[in-house]
Amino acid sequence: MASYSSPSAGSNVAGLTDLTTTLEERFGKEITKGTADSGFILTVSLTQPSILPALCRFLFWENGCLFGGIVAEEQPARWQMHYAFLLPGAGWVKVDLSLPIETTVLPSIVADVHAADWHEREIEDLFGIHFENHPRLGDFVLHDQTWHEGIDPMRKSFSPSRPQLELKEDLEWKPLLVVSEPGSFAMPVGPVYEGGVGESLHFLLETVGEDVIRAVPRLFYNYRAVEKIAEGRTVTDALLLAERFAATSAFAHSLAYCRAAESIAGVEAPPRAVALRVLLAELERLRHHAGAIAAICESTALAVSAAQASIIEENLLRASCAFAGHRYLFGLNTPGGLNRDFGTEQCRTLLTAVDKAESDLRTLEKRLRLSSSFLDRLEDVGVVTGESARDLNLVGPIGRASAQHCDLRAACPYSGYERYAFEIPLETEGDGYARLRVLLAEATQSARLIHQVVDSLEDGPVHVPWSVNHAGAALGWAEAPRGAALHWLRVNDSGAVERYRAVTPSFNNWLGFHVAAENFAFQDFPIILATFGLSATECDR
Amino acid sequence: MSFWFWHGLRKGIQSTRYPAHVESAPGVSPGRPVNTDFSTVEDAQLAAEICPTDAIVAHGKSTYVNHGKCVHCQLCLNSLSSPMNWEAGYEWTRLPANQTESLPFPSAFAKSMHIMVVDAGDCGACLHEVKLLSNPLYNMHRLGFFLTPTPRAADLLLVVGPVSENMRGPLLKTWEAMPTSKKVMAVGSCAISGGVFGKSFMCACGVGSVLPVDFEVPGSPPPPLAILHGLLTVAGRKSLKSLEPISEGRH
Amino acid sequence: MVIASPSLIAIFVVCAAGFLCSALFGRKQIPYVLAVAGVLSATLMVLASATVLLTGQSLDAALWELDGLGRFRIHLDALSSVFLLVTGIVYFSVSLFVASFLRNRDDEAHPHRLYSMLYFALMAAIVLILVASDTVLFLISWECMSILCFLQINYDPRGHSDKFAGYIMLAMSEAGFLAVAVAFLLLARSAADLSFEALRTAGTALPPQALWLPFLLGFFGFGVKAGLIPVNFWLPRSYTAAPPVFIPVFAGITLNLGFYGIMRLNTDLMHTGYGAGLVALITGSVTALVGILYATTDGDMKTMLAHSSIENAGIIVAALGAFLVFRALNQPVAAALAISAALYHMVNHSIYKTLLFEGAGHVEAATGTREMDQLGGLARYLPGLSAIFLVGCLAISAVPPFNGFVSEWMTLQTLLRSAVLVSTSVRIVFALCGAALALTAALAVTCFVKTYAMNFLGIRRGKWEVRDRAQAMSKFPMAFLAVVCLLLGILPTYVLPMLNRSVEPLAGTSITTALVQPFFTATPENVQLPAAFLQDFHNLGAQVGRGFIPGRGLVVLLRGGEANPVVFAMSPSYSLIALVILFAIVWYGFRRFTRHRTLARRPVWAGGIPRLLPLLTYTGTGFSNPVRVVFQAIFRPTIIGDTRQTVAVHFRTAIRRQREETHIMDRLLLKPVGTAVQKIAAFLAGMHHGKLNAYVTYVLAFFLLILFVYRGG
Repeated sequence: MASYSSPSAGSNVAGLTDLTTTLEERFGKEITKGTADSGFILTVSLTQPSILPALCRFLFWENGCLFGGIVAEEQPARWQMHYAFLLPGAGWVKVDLSLPIETTVLPSIVADVHAADWHEREIEDLFGIHFENHPRLGDFVLHDQTWHEGIDPMRKSFSPSRPQLELKEDLEWKPLLVVSEPGSFAMPVGPVYEGGVGESLHFLLETVGEDVIRAVPRLFYNYRAVEKIAEGRTVTDALLLAERFAATSAFAHSLAYCRAAESIAGVEAPPRAVALRVLLAELERLRHHAGAIAAICESTALAVSAAQASIIEENLLRASCAFAGHRYLFGLNTPGGLNRDFGTEQCRTLLTAVDKAESDLRTLEKRLRLSSSFLDRLEDVGVVTGESARDLNLVGPIGRASAQHCDLRAACPYSGYERYAFEIPLETEGDGYARLRVLLAEATQSARLIHQVVDSLEDGPVHVPWSVNHAGAALGWAEAPRGAALHWLRVNDSGAVERYRAVTPSFNNWLGFHVAAENFAFQDFPIILATFGLSATECDR
Repeated sequence: MSFWFWHGLRKGIQSTRYPAHVESAPGVSPGRPVNTDFSTVEDAQLAAEICPTDAIVAHGKSTYVNHGKCVHCQLCLNSLSSPMNWEAGYEWTRLPANQTESLPFPSAFAKSMHIMVVDAGDCGACLHEVKLLSNPLYNMHRLGFFLTPTPRAADLLLVVGPVSENMRGPLLKTWEAMPTSKKVMAVGSCAISGGVFGKSFMCACGVGSVLPVDFEVPGSPPPPLAILHGLLTVAGRKSLKSLEPISEGRH
Repeated sequence: MVIASPSLIAIFVVCAAGFLCSALFGRKQIPYVLAVAGVLSATLMVLASATVLLTGQSLDAALWELDGLGRFRIHLDALSSVFLLVTGIVYFSVSLFVASFLRNRDDEAHPHRLYSMLYFALMAAIVLILVASDTVLFLISWECMSILCFLQINYDPRGHSDKFAGYIMLAMSEAGFLAVAVAFLLLARSAADLSFEALRTAGTALPPQALWLPFLLGFFGFGVKAGLIPVNFWLPRSYTAAPPVFIPVFAGITLNLGFYGIMRLNTDLMHTGYGAGLVALITGSVTALVGILYATTDGDMKTMLAHSSIENAGIIVAALGAFLVFRALNQPVAAALAISAALYHMVNHSIYKTLLFEGAGHVEAATGTREMDQLGGLARYLPGLSAIFLVGCLAISAVPPFNGFVSEWMTLQTLLRSAVLVSTSVRIVFALCGAALALTAALAVTCFVKTYAMNFLGIRRGKWEVRDRAQAMSKFPMAFLAVVCLLLGILPTYVLPMLNRSVEPLAGTSITTALVQPFFTATPENVQLPAAFLQDFHNLGAQVGRGFIPGRGLVVLLRGGEANPVVFAMSPSYSLIALVILFAIVWYGFRRFTRHRTLARRPVWAGGIPRLLPLLTYTGTGFSNPVRVVFQAIFRPTIIGDTRQTVAVHFRTAIRRQREETHIMDRLLLKPVGTAVQKIAAFLAGMHHGKLNAYVTYVLAFFLLILFVYRGG
């Protein structure tokens, strides 16, 4: 049974004080500490790039900080690198590194913080900055069979409206295989597979037949360069992109984005909007988890349960549509609040639907627990140990199934989550079944949160006027259904987006997929994939 | 384990009765804005301006909607003092702009059509709605529509997403691997016009710029019933009259 | 008699001529010598044996007298004739294959002359074994054959062949030879002289209990040659080591000598109890199953075919075991069925295995590799060979209309005939062995689907090019065998009467009367078949061809009692006609319906990746790995050297693994015995440490021991 960790009440001020003191002792000379701003409680500026790995190790391993992500910004004469870490219970810590624009090589932190692996690879691919000692660069976002070196689309000199390059695929391109055993070969899966209803991504299953030794995902088939094409758009236009690169967690991403925009403008959304945002975010989480559970049931070929879970999901989609006018909750968030208000009667109708879905999920759970063949296929499948999960900074339900209790709703409360009572389910086994249990328990907690929001909803406006007419940058965050989502936004004086960066939970967690997908029987592959429940499009952006 | 059988049976028939009957359960479709006559020219102008993808065009006091561009942000419904008219329903299938007559499959395909779906940079919404067609509430198999894992056996190529550069090659390969006669259906505004992503170095601005499209299902995302309507149209089972007339709103 | 006798002598003359010509002629002429003399002697073998089989007269000749050992005799009876016939057919093909192979060989240093001399010497020795009719001549020629086989493996001094493989084969052959010699002598104790005639008189008169020891010794001795478990560990090794010009003889002819020995000594010369039959049945079934398991998972074409030979040996011996049981339990019809199944399968196996080994040799010569993981797509480069090899694969997988189907079907039907037996325990053994053989048959299909698919279909995986000279090699020898495969497969009603010459004396009843029903010759008043029965089958079409096709009919049918008039029936001949008609209809229909369509060729669909690369396609190992996983208890694969290279803990840069499998017989028998011998040797060596006192002690101890033993004497 799931154990629960209660969200820590109040902020971890003591932790922050400790951190500041030890930072002073260890790195006093090389760093300058800034104050809290743009969503961060602490900014540490480095004067020397060489101590970056040591500092990151200090934060990640010695102070229990979680890794948030890396944001690279190209400013007219300088590179601005931001390394975000979360001090649980206190807030976000930023490590800043400013370098002349001529710099082409940076120290890599992957040897200490493995979670930074893909961040560095992406920056290398898109900006052309090399990371010293990174073991595997190249062939990431821009696939090597199509893109040749020297195209750095995120550089300011590269115009987003530039037409497609119509590049030719290199037919002789060979994937990198690491398994060598007599008779070993790789089974290619995708990018078009499952009749296409699977998202576009590619796997190489390295095997000698029957048992797969290693499975590596190859992503970014859906890369639409959201971060690049957002540049130059107004903040509200770019919101459409932030909302729509990943539909299954659209509301959470738009929430994080709007909070960043509000933070830049110094505007707070009105209380009713804040509360309704929690309601909508939890509705989205509930619906996402129902869908994820349906996918897990389907992967084990337990058709009736898959059908029933899928009905629950569709009912929630219909409830969302009847409630908010859109099945995937598009077009609701706006900087400064919500685009529309909801009547009490509407909320009551929604509650009925949510209760129905929740009780249906409970019934389903009860039956699934009695289905031994179903459990056999989930148990001990795709195990991610707690150490690996910490190592790779896995977030969301996957992290929580491997004893990583990071949940931004509690670790760094936003949008008034601290006002509601809820629990964070935690499992330690790290296998497929643990992930399923976490999803089921979280669905219950979401329903509980929705109840609390509806019961305590206060009257008032849902929108305050919002505009931005000064340059600035801020971090917005939200706990998306799949885990922590970070949106970094910088606007210029004219209110246009200068740099937008979204760190998504799928991007974080795909990195850890290969840990779960090592030495398994071929027929377990769909199950591992389903219990991870990751989205390629959310990762790709 | 046998109890699943029993629980499955006890649920009874859940499938919608569409296309024989109209499905009217709340929330099956978000509806969409339609051409509206406003009382003042300013209102019409406001409606056209608030649309982020220029799907609404004002002509005097009237506004026309190009549904292929509408991304369903609902701004013209929620944020205007005099909102656009809104229609319920889901029979939205239409022909591409460059095409004047509808060419559905011959009758041999009417009761058995195999569909290859390709996610060409989709946000997941349209893809998910396609996936939901297999769930018991829509159950497209009862109509003879089947998803197939290989293009060799596919009749219809259903494309979602604006065609990202990295998916352009695989999409073309899939299309080439399909036997004739084949049809292409673009599902969702992104697949029709590029949607919010527009034209960029990474997006091809819709399937039409890569492949010859035969049918379009607008919406962002089009609800499952709209996609089902599209499939029925491709199979020649929904009459051409129910197709959206080529309206002036199309520019 | 008239033709047989001179042709038998002529065989030896031609062999001798071939031997001399090889010694005298130049290197360039050797292939012609091989072709001419080989084909000539093979034709003579076929002539001699066919005469015996068709006329039923056997050839008997006494040679010279030897002091104390009796008279040397040769005797070509029906049983020998069946083996000689196969030998002739195989030699016909092999001689041409070898000639063509040597002619087109790139390798300049190959000792053509030595090879050719050994070839003819071995041929003479083999024929002599088959016609020898007294113990001494048989044993002498057997020993010659063993040594010549060893030399044929190791004749090439450049040492590319595995010396160990040759020696272990020689050692096992010698052990088998000793056992056989003892078996003959044990039998001869109660016989008048050393001729087979006298031994048979003695062997049929002795009680079954007294025959256990000679039976087991003979079964062991000949089982070594036939590749039976547990004494077959030499076989895959030496088959793999044997050069491609020897392996077809090795697999197609010398393997048969093991069966010949078992049939001659254990079946013909003595009448054992049913217990002996069960031993053979169980040994055969286990051999077949283990053989096919290793064949399925092996990646080397030659080793795979060697394991497959073991499998077929198992099937033959299992049918033979069934025969011994049925004969001992007085079931002549079932016994006749069993022994004809064994003989038929022996004939078939020789034909298609020779074909496959020739094909493997061809592939190796053309590409330079036999590794299935490296090959692939050969059908594109060698279409002719591919088609012929496919026939071999279909035949060995027992797919009609080819010959493997007939004999495997008969073998399985034989085991089902255990229904006529009374003893429940014997029936259970039959049922289990039948299940094992059915599993074997299924795995054989897997094995040869893999072999054909991995070598000839798909895309080329290795870095080889087809060599032109190898491509020029003649495909006629293989095509000839493929035709024989087809004929043996569609004409069982003509083959069975020929086999009957040797079946009838052994089983005591005619297999022709039992199985080949006279649908062509029967008339309503003929009492052999009831009129209603006949009418039913005539309605089914069993009389089609009557009048213009000779023979009794084209249906193989075993009749039962009143309740069950047809025990089993089949007709590959009619099936073939039906198959051809069906194919024709489908082909015509297909062409008719698609004549307006254009054919579009597109690249292989691989999920949208740029191109399907060879490293992304199944390897032979991968294809058969499920079998390895399911039968893990037998294979016991051990992963040695599992190294995972990682950088910064989670970056896998390389995973290297080596798999090691020890053959179950090596694991259970060769290794323990080897270790024990080494330990004893070490102990004995330890006793000799050179100290005088110790030796004095040994002498004293030995002296005391002698005194103790002879204390009463």
